Amino acid sequence: MTDAPAEPLPVGEDEFRMIADSAPVAVWVTRLDRKRSFVNRAYVAFLGVSYQEALDFDWRRIIHPDDAAQVLAQSVAGEASLGTFELEGRYRNVHGEWRWLHSTSQPRRDAQGHHIGFIGVAHDVTEAKTAELALREREAQLSAFISQTTAGFAQVDIEGRFTLVNDRFCEIAGWSRDALMGGMTMQQITHPDDLARNLPLFEKVVRDGTPYTHEKRYVRKDGGVVWVNNSVAVIRRPTGEPFGVLSVTLDVTQRRADEDALRKSEETLRLATEAAGMATWELDLDTMEGAWSPNRFDLLGMPHRPDPRGSFDEWIARAHPDDRAMVREAAMRCFTAGEPYAITYRIVRAEDGAERWLQSHGSRIDYGDGRPSRFVGVSFDVTDRKRAEQELRESEARFRTIFEQANDFLITTTLDNRVTSVNPAVVEAIGYREDEILGRSIRDFMDEDQFAIGMDAFNRKLQHGGSTRLTLKLRAKDGRELIWEVNSRLNLDAQGRPVALHAIGRDMTEAKRAEAHLRLLIDELNHRVKNTLAIVQGIARQSFKDDVPPPRARAAFEGRLAALSEAHNLLTREHWGLVSMRRIIEDALRPHGEPSRFALDGPDLSIQPKTAISLALAIHELATNAVKHGALSRPEGRIAVHWRRAHVGGVARLALRWEEAGGPPVVAPTRRGFGTRMIERGLAAELGGTVRIEFRPDGLVCIVDAPLPEGAA
Amino acid sequence: MSGLRGLRVLVVEDEPVVAMYLEDLLEALGCETIGPASRLADGLALAEGGGFDVAILDINLSGERSTPIAEALRARGLPFAFASGYGAPPEGFGKNVPMIEKPYREAQLADALARLRP
Repeated sequence: MTDAPAEPLPVGEDEFRMIADSAPVAVWVTRLDRKRSFVNRAYVAFLGVSYQEALDFDWRRIIHPDDAAQVLAQSVAGEASLGTFELEGRYRNVHGEWRWLHSTSQPRRDAQGHHIGFIGVAHDVTEAKTAELALREREAQLSAFISQTTAGFAQVDIEGRFTLVNDRFCEIAGWSRDALMGGMTMQQITHPDDLARNLPLFEKVVRDGTPYTHEKRYVRKDGGVVWVNNSVAVIRRPTGEPFGVLSVTLDVTQRRADEDALRKSEETLRLATEAAGMATWELDLDTMEGAWSPNRFDLLGMPHRPDPRGSFDEWIARAHPDDRAMVREAAMRCFTAGEPYAITYRIVRAEDGAERWLQSHGSRIDYGDGRPSRFVGVSFDVTDRKRAEQELRESEARFRTIFEQANDFLITTTLDNRVTSVNPAVVEAIGYREDEILGRSIRDFMDEDQFAIGMDAFNRKLQHGGSTRLTLKLRAKDGRELIWEVNSRLNLDAQGRPVALHAIGRDMTEAKRAEAHLRLLIDELNHRVKNTLAIVQGIARQSFKDDVPPPRARAAFEGRLAALSEAHNLLTREHWGLVSMRRIIEDALRPHGEPSRFALDGPDLSIQPKTAISLALAIHELATNAVKHGALSRPEGRIAVHWRRAHVGGVARLALRWEEAGGPPVVAPTRRGFGTRMIERGLAAELGGTVRIEFRPDGLVCIVDAPLPEGAA
Repeated sequence: MSGLRGLRVLVVEDEPVVAMYLEDLLEALGCETIGPASRLADGLALAEGGGFDVAILDINLSGERSTPIAEALRARGLPFAFASGYGAPPEGFGKNVPMIEKPYREAQLADALARLRP
């Protein structure tokens, strides 16, 4: 009741409710919007629903089909008139009975006289109506009897000779009064095929007075055939002795023709429905049996029967065990509550046990005139459709899985670039949530120049169709640039018109980075090769001087090239990163004598590759000189190489000494060759310090003083 | 190559062996080598100091680029050439600056110097 709007009721609200609820007739109050704001107990009871449901109940649902059009039209007109109006028609109550209701709706007005709705009252006039109808029917029958123009009267004697006929009979039978009364018998004008049925009835009415009504054909004088419905009774003398038979004859030719046509059209309909694979069946709700169409037997895998009838139980037995309860429940609800059903369920065919899907519709037909309700149903096999549906579902699921799990980016957009779907890979890559992406323009995820590239490709597809492949830079939520290779294509409808766009993207950010790195490596390699060639060129130039004999020059060149090569080996092993100074010195010395002849002492400093090459070449030159002129030219000669980190004024420096001992007395050379130059100038330049060679009589000394080389820890 | 005789050439080259070789080539052409400088800072100091006619700049100096030296030279109106094993001249220096490819060829070096000579 709390839902009732605060509208003024005609009397005090509680008082009104009390009166209304105790009234034996249905009462309701509607608002301007036609919603009911109040219904009384009788109203609720008629519908058999809750109060709230009764307020919302659509009464049009329960109007008898024969009355619906008229009642609805009158109700609309009545409401529009804003005046009092009355309706009469049959409505189905909660028990499924058709009740004649006569309703009167009166307009409601507020204090200012404005229309604010209606108050309605409905009387149940079923009994009166039934009586009225019965009366009307009897009246019709009577008038048919007495109306010459409707019914024919014929009287025959007990032999069947006509003794009395009216004009209408002559008209129907197609014989003149004179001919009939001139000694003709009813047997003579009855169609020979109908006599076998007719005669026993006639004999019986004469013999014991049993009246009968039957339909038969007369053969008219012109040879035509007329169908008649004869109601036949015996006529007795006051003594009780029968002297004749009276027949009231109606011409039913037209009705027969109509019925025939109906039968034919029913037949046509049946054939049509069967051709469409639709099986039909009926059920008498008393016997729970009814006629089945032949293909219903086929559908259920049951043999045809001479009497094509089947029972409810036979049907239910064919339902798949898992669906049986559902089927039974739907059917029972239809039988008892008149609720039509449409269900899809499985059956197990009787003959081969095959499982099939059926779709069935059923309705209860209520006549409303005392005849028992019947049930009609149609069913058809939807197995193929179900299978196709299932396949579609599976296929959709497969595609969905691909969509969800693909590493590639899958995107669909409208033709105006709004994103309609993205897979999780997109969400992951771009950093926006799905709901932050959907519905937005792709423009929001890239810079203007990139959008222009995308639009250009889009227009190309619009004009020429096909797909495009382009590299686009996108902007992730955190501002990162993403490089995607995007393949896209327009989706076309059945007429070939573009309706959407779908795109597959792949992250090229890493690939592009790798590509750039590779390019850098190649550039670097090229640089190094060229640089090395330049070094080799320099070494060659220094080795092949005009004043050096070719064999010596060649040997010197090979030695230097070997030193360069050895240094490269180490650098390659260390991937051109920092290398050990000790290793460079060791490698450069190795070709020149047994390790025992060298005493290396110093911390293991790391130096840059370029410095390593210069150091290797310098050590090579020192060692070569030692082999030719110095310590290594004597078996007892030794060389010590010491280095250390020195700290001068807080700055780390490298102090390295090469000291030869045990060689022949040293004589300072008259001219300085490449070796000396390489050491004193080349290494010094490389280290950014000073390198000094002292030709001491007891052994050559080379002193390096330089800032600690870059990279030396 | 008497045309180049007495030409003072600033050499900026970080690879000692290569620098020596260039020095020898220049000597053979009758030119005088200023430097060689092997580091950016040294090269810049020499460039600012003057006392040369033209310059040959190795583009890559131990990982640094010699562009600042080139800019200093351009500012002073002194001609120069780039030397490189690989790659294009640094940005901002177009076709007017000769490129000398490494390994060096004497003829190419002489041509470049002849173009640069004021």
